[in-house]
Amino acid sequence: MRIEVARSGGFAAIERHAALDTAGRPDADRLVALAEAALTAGPARGPVVPDGFTYEITADGRTARCADPHLTAEQRELIRTVLGEGA
Amino acid sequence: MTADRAPAVFCTIVPPHVLDKMSGSADAGVSGAARRTLEQDALQRTRRRLTTVIGATGVTGAAASDRPVRTIHDAKHQDALPGRKVRGEGDKAAEDASVNRAYDALGATFETYLKAYARHSIDDAGLPLVASVHYLQDYNNAFWNGQQMVFGDGDGRIFLDFTLPLDVIGHELTHGVTQYSANLDYFGQSGALNESVSDVFGSLIKQFTLGQSAEQADWLIGAGLLAPGVNGHALRSMKAPGTAYDDPDLGTDPQPGTMAGYVSTSRDNGGVHINSGIPNHAFYLLAAELGGNAWEQAGQIWYDTLTGGSLSPHAQFADFAAATAAAAKARYGEGDQYRAVLASWSQVGVTPAVPSPDSAGLPRQQPGQPQEA
Ligand SMILES: [Zn+2]
Repeated sequence: MRIEVARSGGFAAIERHAALDTAGRPDADRLVALAEAALTAGPARGPVVPDGFTYEITADGRTARCADPHLTAEQRELIRTVLGEGA
Repeated sequence: MTADRAPAVFCTIVPPHVLDKMSGSADAGVSGAARRTLEQDALQRTRRRLTTVIGATGVTGAAASDRPVRTIHDAKHQDALPGRKVRGEGDKAAEDASVNRAYDALGATFETYLKAYARHSIDDAGLPLVASVHYLQDYNNAFWNGQQMVFGDGDGRIFLDFTLPLDVIGHELTHGVTQYSANLDYFGQSGALNESVSDVFGSLIKQFTLGQSAEQADWLIGAGLLAPGVNGHALRSMKAPGTAYDDPDLGTDPQPGTMAGYVSTSRDNGGVHINSGIPNHAFYLLAAELGGNAWEQAGQIWYDTLTGGSLSPHAQFADFAAATAAAAKARYGEGDQYRAVLASWSQVGVTPAVPSPDSAGLPRQQPGQPQEA
């Protein structure tokens, strides 16, 4: 499964975009499960917060949008893994 | 350019998304909001005089305290807010430098709003100031969540601890001030104004605290936040938007300083951190033209605009420009300050909006002036 994460917004407004393919990875099952959970979590619950990061998670042709600080644990772990940056 | 002039809603405990809905309703009238603003101004003038004559402790009764009520929490690298309380108001310094920096910077921010604008905390009614440090792991961000400030440690590779620059903490706290005053909608131009107001007062808080004049100030946002080795001085420059950084990893500072460089994008809530460079630069030009301490006249005009009740939550640059001109005229007459306000907006390519006939407090428009920027 190819998983993409794009981040925008934030105090510094530095955009980040990264993708990975789960094929051949030792954590493939975990990542696929995280992606499934992240994509079905529904839209971010709560108001837009000034300077909060916003994220787009795309896998299997589906895209979920979410925003800090209203992320599920699965969304946060997936974003951290794919972007390779603190989240 | 929208002609929408929903009345400003003055309400201190309803969250912004609810206020947004309310602002469309018919009854929250401008006249009521304006009257309350006048009462507030009168109260502030009285309070200032009392403070001068009998000292801060002499003000009693319902008036908010002249002292902050700060609480700093440690999120311990987790998601849950606010986390564990580690320092309350009046407590001795903690071991943790991030905790102490947040505590001191909240104090400096409270002090600037009080001494420069007679504002008592975020809501002008003594709202306690709450911040959490060490949010998540290596987190490259800080934000205001509607109730409190939240600071990450940075990853140490690109960003250092977000509690380091005083203007960053002032910026976040000012998002609270905006929420409790003009409540500018965080999208597109109104969102860029919301961001700009936070940069303006973030910078003014630093200037006030350091005792720097407009000429001495660096006019940077986030100086000291970039890790060693990153090619940049800061995240934004109000004096020269677009020049704060140029780095292989960060990219190039995308901020325009004039409408000619306005960026249309759906990212970042419609480019709120990008196009904020335009009103940021207008403020810098005004402060530079007036000279002296920027928080005095230039800052007062912006503060009056933010809190005066004439701005719609959906205000565009042209509406905000008109409101600053009206605020300058109301406070200083049609002299140098008023002319400098109009000149600075003109230099960044923004033409003040023509006020609707019933919008109290806005200047009468010169005949023939175009309605759109
Ligand atoms: Zn901001």
